Amino acid sequence: MNAVRAPSILPGFGMTLGFSTFFLCAIVLIPLAALVMRTATMGWEEFLAIVLDERAVASYRLSFGAALLAAFINSVFGFVVAWTLVRYEFPGRKLIDAFIDMPFALPTAVSGIALTAVFAENGPLGQLLAAYGIRVAYTWVGIVVALTLIGLPFVVRSVQPALLEVQRDLEDAAETLGAGRFYTFRRIILPTVLPALLTGFTMAFARGVGEYGSVIFIAGNLPFETEITPLLIVIKLEEFDYAGAAALGFIMLVISFVMLLSINLLQAWGRRRMVAAGR
Amino acid sequence: MSITLDQVTKRYEGSTVVNDVSLEVGEGEFFVLLGPSGSGKSTLLRAIAGLTGVDHGRIALHNQDVTHLSARERGVGLVFQNYALFRHMTVADNIEFALRVRRMRRAERIARRKELLRLVALEGMDDRLPTQLSGGQQQRVAVARALAHKPQVLLLDEPFGALDAKIREELRRTIRQVQRELKITTVLVTHDQEEAFALADRIGVMNLGRLLETGRPDELYARPATRFVATFLGAANLLLARQTPQGIHFGAMPVNARLAERLDGGRSHEVVAVLRPEEIELAPTRDTLKTNYIAQGVVEETIFTGALERMRVRLDHGSTGAQLAATDGNAGASIIEVTRTQHEHRTFPVSLGQAVAIGVRRIHVLPTPLSSYTAWAPDAAAAARLAEHPFLAELAARMKTRIACRPEPALDNPIDSDVQLDNISGVAVIEAHPEAIDRIEWLLHNGAGEVMVLPPLAGAPHRVLIHWADDSARRSTLAVAASLLRHVTAEAVYLGILPQNVSDTQRPMGVRSLLDARSEAQAVHGLDMRTELRFGVAAEELRRQLEDAPEQMLILGISDLDALHEGYGPLFAGATRHAMMVVYRPAGEAAGQQLIGEERLAMSES
Repeated sequence: MNAVRAPSILPGFGMTLGFSTFFLCAIVLIPLAALVMRTATMGWEEFLAIVLDERAVASYRLSFGAALLAAFINSVFGFVVAWTLVRYEFPGRKLIDAFIDMPFALPTAVSGIALTAVFAENGPLGQLLAAYGIRVAYTWVGIVVALTLIGLPFVVRSVQPALLEVQRDLEDAAETLGAGRFYTFRRIILPTVLPALLTGFTMAFARGVGEYGSVIFIAGNLPFETEITPLLIVIKLEEFDYAGAAALGFIMLVISFVMLLSINLLQAWGRRRMVAAGR
Repeated sequence: MSITLDQVTKRYEGSTVVNDVSLEVGEGEFFVLLGPSGSGKSTLLRAIAGLTGVDHGRIALHNQDVTHLSARERGVGLVFQNYALFRHMTVADNIEFALRVRRMRRAERIARRKELLRLVALEGMDDRLPTQLSGGQQQRVAVARALAHKPQVLLLDEPFGALDAKIREELRRTIRQVQRELKITTVLVTHDQEEAFALADRIGVMNLGRLLETGRPDELYARPATRFVATFLGAANLLLARQTPQGIHFGAMPVNARLAERLDGGRSHEVVAVLRPEEIELAPTRDTLKTNYIAQGVVEETIFTGALERMRVRLDHGSTGAQLAATDGNAGASIIEVTRTQHEHRTFPVSLGQAVAIGVRRIHVLPTPLSSYTAWAPDAAAAARLAEHPFLAELAARMKTRIACRPEPALDNPIDSDVQLDNISGVAVIEAHPEAIDRIEWLLHNGAGEVMVLPPLAGAPHRVLIHWADDSARRSTLAVAASLLRHVTAEAVYLGILPQNVSDTQRPMGVRSLLDARSEAQAVHGLDMRTELRFGVAAEELRRQLEDAPEQMLILGISDLDALHEGYGPLFAGATRHAMMVVYRPAGEAAGQQLIGEERLAMSES
């Protein structure tokens, strides 16, 4: 908005807007539209049959459930990691900071294979957990672990700058006013970083829903149990059932969109409420 | 007492940020801690608030020891430079924060909030968010918030730092009003001397972690005891002068004969004189001056600042024979600052390059015994090299004084023809070498009061050992030590040394002398020092202490030259890494020297 009224020193608002629109269309909207079109070639009944197939429904539950759970886990641990990195000076801090981005860079298949090797029943961690009767690899737990790994950088990277903004002075002020640590955390720190945390949560969740590479190695891919929707789509594609794949893709698209939209609305509502309180 | 600090020390990673600070702030007093950035004033404030622990010393609020209480439990109000308001809360929630924590009932909370908002003149702003307020208003909210829980003391850390001049002044007035109305004990930290003058009942000036002086603003301005306070609190020209039984001399020029009766015939010695820019008078010629003439000068720069005219005038040494040495220590050594009122400007307009006669209305003499440094060496080149010794150069720069260079006369010629007794002034500095003791004796014998022996690698000390051979050297040694310690970040330790075979009845005497030394250091110089009692031969004990750790310095007081040679000779013979300073006042003269401390020269304009 500001750009329209007060042009920045770099000219070319028209050009950049045009380019953004074109790029968005070419890369995002047109392929999505193609997906919808493809689905539209199917009859209504056929569509419902594919989409409401029991195996498909089980995979939705797993995909979205695991992504949601992983995003929650990441919100907690990502916050702690970001806190540690922002608040403390310790040897190796820079190194850990760099490691955070590794899941971004690693081919997801590589992290999947690595996780499987570690958590398989003969792997080092898998053996340990097996002694307590906990199986990670080839269960839904493994999927959550994989998605947690993939989503962590999103939370850390979005919370970090927000935490940097919470000045030490705020905590000092709260302390001199008589607030205990937990009270200060709950009333001062958390509200300040909550929007950033929510953003990180959303991104981690969205990434988790779409994740494929790392999950298929650790999941075991048993229908009804550890089969995620993206895998189901790939299976359909391998059977040359393009319409079926498109139908499942379309459903994922709709559910994801609804969920992301509601998170965004929630955030906007929260912000409005804060401003409204100021009137 | 509302706030009592007792020898508070705080270290960060080996460096001492707050160094042995003792202070008492009275009930309802507005105390301003003034100092440059890095002087430790904010750390001290945080220590009072309980946000920073102390390494040593005690803190009491209203006579209750709170040293080990957390900030929560101390119940102080703290205002930060950047307001530190909770931005996601309204003004009302910010102010009520401390009350909610204390589970106060809603009706009471609201009543208290309204009262506070009235106090800081922000009525009706309850529901605003901090981001909707101006900087000045935000700081008012912060003040109200800090007062909500009725704290015992109000602490303000550079509260006006982020505000522009006009709002600053307005807020200053508000804070002063609030403080008067509530009669709350207040400590404010600032680097702005104008702010300190405007607000303070009492000012404490900090530098290098030490609290140098405390006093009423007008007292501190008129009669500073240290160079730092003299130059930090307003502008000051520091000039080296000689104090003789006849009065103060700038070179050959006696300034005020009436001074003589206030001195008690001690030997002539060098002093540091403070000349405030506004106490200096300019006139076309010496005869037209209404005040005491000190020298001729040439106008180098004039700046019009509205009410005042500020000038820099270069002193002309040759014209009057006056050896006027400004103690700046740099090339601009002989430039003094002058401010004149519009009236003075109209009476005698000057232009750049004009020659003027300089007079002075009022001189204040600093009580410091360390006036300047003179590097003594066998030849001029060696003296110049010694003058560039890093520690010496830094010390002189910090003391805003000069280092002169003198070639030494041969030792067998006790008084060289060009070395007059009078001419040995300030601290004589010599390089360490095995026969240093002879050189020290020669210098002390010929009128030097302090000799510093400087090994090539001596650095700024972390610890200064203080020792005197007998009690008659106590006063002068403490005065020198206190003066020196104001310019280095070191801890002071007094070593009392009793002979090994001392009888049991004498031991209490030893302890008593330690306590005397400590209380005198505290009372007369505001210097907190640790004391340690040792048994053995003094020189050996001192050597052992010096070998104990790197970066130390020794200050050794004597009142008898024979005692120096016999008792401490070996100390200077061996190789050493540490700087050592010998302070010598002949017994009997030491008492008379004390008067200088309180000396002040006020001269009428006529």
